[in-house]
Amino acid sequence: MAVITISRGSYSKGKEVAEGVASKLGYMCISREVLLEASDHFNIPEIKLVRAIHDAPSILDRVTHGKEAYIAYIQSALLEFAKKGEIVYHGLAGHILLREIPQVLKVRIIANLDSRVVAEMEREKTIKKEARSLILKDDQERRKWTKRLYGVDPWDASLYDLLICIDKIKVHGAIDIICQAASYEAFKITKKNQQQLSDLALACQVKSKLLDLDSKVAVTAEFGNVIVRTKTDDRKARKLEENLRVLVKEIEGIHNIELRTREMRPSADA
Amino acid sequence: MEQLTTEIILVLCMICLAIFLFIVEWVRVDVVAILMMVILPLLHLVTPKEAFVGFSSNAVISIIAVIIIGAGLDKTGIINRLVTPVLKIAGNSSSRIVIAISLTVAGISSFMQNIGAAALFLPAIQRVSKRLKIPLSQLLMPIGFSAILGGTLTLVGCSPLILLNDLLAAFNLPPFQLFDVTPIGFFLVLSGIAYFVIFGRFVLPGATSQQEEQLSEDTKDLDDSYADVGKLHELRTPDNFTHYREPLTIEELRIKYLVHVVALSEPPHLTISNPSPEKEIRDNTDLAVYGTEKNINRMAEEEEIIIKETWETFKETLSEESAGTVEAVVAPRSELTGKNLRETNLHDRFGVTPLAIYRHGRMLKMDLADVTLGVGDAILLHGTWKRLKALQDGRFFILTTPIDVEETKPEKALFAALWLTVALVMILVFKIQLSVCLMTGALGMILTRVLTIDEAYQSVDWRTIFLLAGLIPLGIATEKTGTAAWIAHQVLGALGGSVPTIVLLTVIGILSTIFTLVISNVGATVLLVPLVVNMALAAGTDPRMAALIVGLATSNSFMLPTHQVNALYMGPGHYRSVDFMKAGGILSIIFIIVMITTIYLFYL
Repeated sequence: MAVITISRGSYSKGKEVAEGVASKLGYMCISREVLLEASDHFNIPEIKLVRAIHDAPSILDRVTHGKEAYIAYIQSALLEFAKKGEIVYHGLAGHILLREIPQVLKVRIIANLDSRVVAEMEREKTIKKEARSLILKDDQERRKWTKRLYGVDPWDASLYDLLICIDKIKVHGAIDIICQAASYEAFKITKKNQQQLSDLALACQVKSKLLDLDSKVAVTAEFGNVIVRTKTDDRKARKLEENLRVLVKEIEGIHNIELRTREMRPSADA
Repeated sequence: MEQLTTEIILVLCMICLAIFLFIVEWVRVDVVAILMMVILPLLHLVTPKEAFVGFSSNAVISIIAVIIIGAGLDKTGIINRLVTPVLKIAGNSSSRIVIAISLTVAGISSFMQNIGAAALFLPAIQRVSKRLKIPLSQLLMPIGFSAILGGTLTLVGCSPLILLNDLLAAFNLPPFQLFDVTPIGFFLVLSGIAYFVIFGRFVLPGATSQQEEQLSEDTKDLDDSYADVGKLHELRTPDNFTHYREPLTIEELRIKYLVHVVALSEPPHLTISNPSPEKEIRDNTDLAVYGTEKNINRMAEEEEIIIKETWETFKETLSEESAGTVEAVVAPRSELTGKNLRETNLHDRFGVTPLAIYRHGRMLKMDLADVTLGVGDAILLHGTWKRLKALQDGRFFILTTPIDVEETKPEKALFAALWLTVALVMILVFKIQLSVCLMTGALGMILTRVLTIDEAYQSVDWRTIFLLAGLIPLGIATEKTGTAAWIAHQVLGALGGSVPTIVLLTVIGILSTIFTLVISNVGATVLLVPLVVNMALAAGTDPRMAALIVGLATSNSFMLPTHQVNALYMGPGHYRSVDFMKAGGILSIIFIIVMITTIYLFYL
């Protein structure tokens, strides 16, 4: 049992590979489902979620933290799938949303720029120069997004366990390599990892419920024991506390929950 | 009108820098003071000699002597012996206890650092609260505030007042005598106590316990896990416990179920109290586990461990006579502040188990190892009395439930009292300078072995000394360069010339209160005294009174839990910031009214 994320640029046949891997291993292949699930669950139009995950945050986003909130919703939905195991996720940012779980097999598929330009020209019926600039713009946008929100460069190879150049290895080769890698011990989702996934899912779920009250709330969970950390003022903290009482009833799997507020240091009166 | 010179601009920049650093606390306040001490002579705003003149100032020497005298009094247990007769007089009524202890604390605080007096009384107040079943939150705040107010009773009661004469000397104004402030302090203490006796039940938390009872049934589960650390249970692992499973350690049980194994007994005859976190749990092992009913039951079910109905193995070793829990409050100047529990390693150093931490009205139970400790955090510790006793020397913690008798030198109590009296007589009768008298008292205590010279050195808080000594040159620069006069004229100009005395004094009082809430009390005094003296001179008001208001109002720090005394009592009193805002906010207003009225009626 494994969880595989496939990150891809446009026209790198990532979807094909993902579907191939899923069908060969008998796993579920997901991408848009996650967005649908999140938009269903949190009553947000899917288009907003797509934009949240695709575009770099605007200035307004940076003030309102709207983007972080949407991403928390998507992460929560993705983890709900991931904790059951046996999935291939080829939507955006899988490698980042699940980066805390080392056992998740994180694959990046890249393609030669020239072949991508040709594909874009065919699809958009456009000239080479324009196709090239469209692809570069899209790449740039995604790169900016990841850097802004998570401080990592998606082109940094160390984020992935496997980097496949699709031009040379082709779709079939890629499927074989990924399936073989998924069978390695390092990517087996054991009971312990599953607990980790469940805890992360739980933390995300709690966080997504609290974002309205405090956009910078941080939530961690360990064996169902949840710590909510906030830097807000006392009044807001009490509101959060009231919400926690409700959440314990609402969300399954919380054994204990605790609120931590900002430390107030005594002044140096002498 | 003063001209705005380059020097004035430079001093203004330094003042802004100091205030900015005080607020953001990128470096500690005493380091800010040292920074001032170094930069000012480099900018030629003070001479090198003036830069370090603070160390030989009356204020610094007086503070050192007051701290040593306080340590001496503490060492002899003389203060703890005061508690019993005081409580006898107070009887069982809550208000009478508040009055009696508050008056005593205020009295002691007038000759000791406020925080020292507050720390000394913490265990006694805890005992009273337990014995008479009065909520601690009803007692601690009034008494803590009295400790702060008591600092205004004499000129050595708090650092800003000690500092005052040195700051006035720059203006050739006559110094204040030891008891010059006493009438004001007296009214302040009385009004503080009266406020809590009359309005205490409305402004203090704990009186509204109905609110907590009203919590609906469906939240009760959470409250159980939230506000309660549970109790001790005895459990036993079955004889096939380790079969077909990964080894289970004590640490894992704690992380998974928030339970603490405080003792363990393996066959044939191995019993360990406070086993190390890495210890693996074997078959047929008896465990003494601290935890809530809910978590213990969950652990028993999931790990297949049997909960015993009655105490068997640990009946003796963990009986109330041999072991228990205490609440340990992180002491002021404890070396544990700023460290987390992992670094402090209480487990290995003292053989005790931290069960929970109480901070800002919230109980922390999870991931305690990562909690950074601060003054006033109350840690619930479990251990054998013998081991808990080792924590009692006060270096790290103040135990609110004292175990046995402290190591004091009661036979030296007479000497301690004698030398305090000698110092007072020298001040009052012979009118010798404050620092000389106090140092005589401190030296007397050392010579009569109330405390050793090393203990005296250790008791001195060097942070306070450097804070005072380092900020004095900033005061000198503000005055010498004409900055204080310049600001004073600007402010008065903006106010439109003639300002009635009472308005000016009130404005100074409010300004000082705001400053002391934001920056350190000493910093506020050093910055404001030259300023207000100039303002008073220009407005034709008594400059000494203006300075006195600054010295007093910098003790008006009740609204935020940032004053050291408030921070210390916050944990054990289970107060939240909002409690200080409510009860302290009103007292702050009363403070200003009483102070201004007394000065206006009796001093002007």
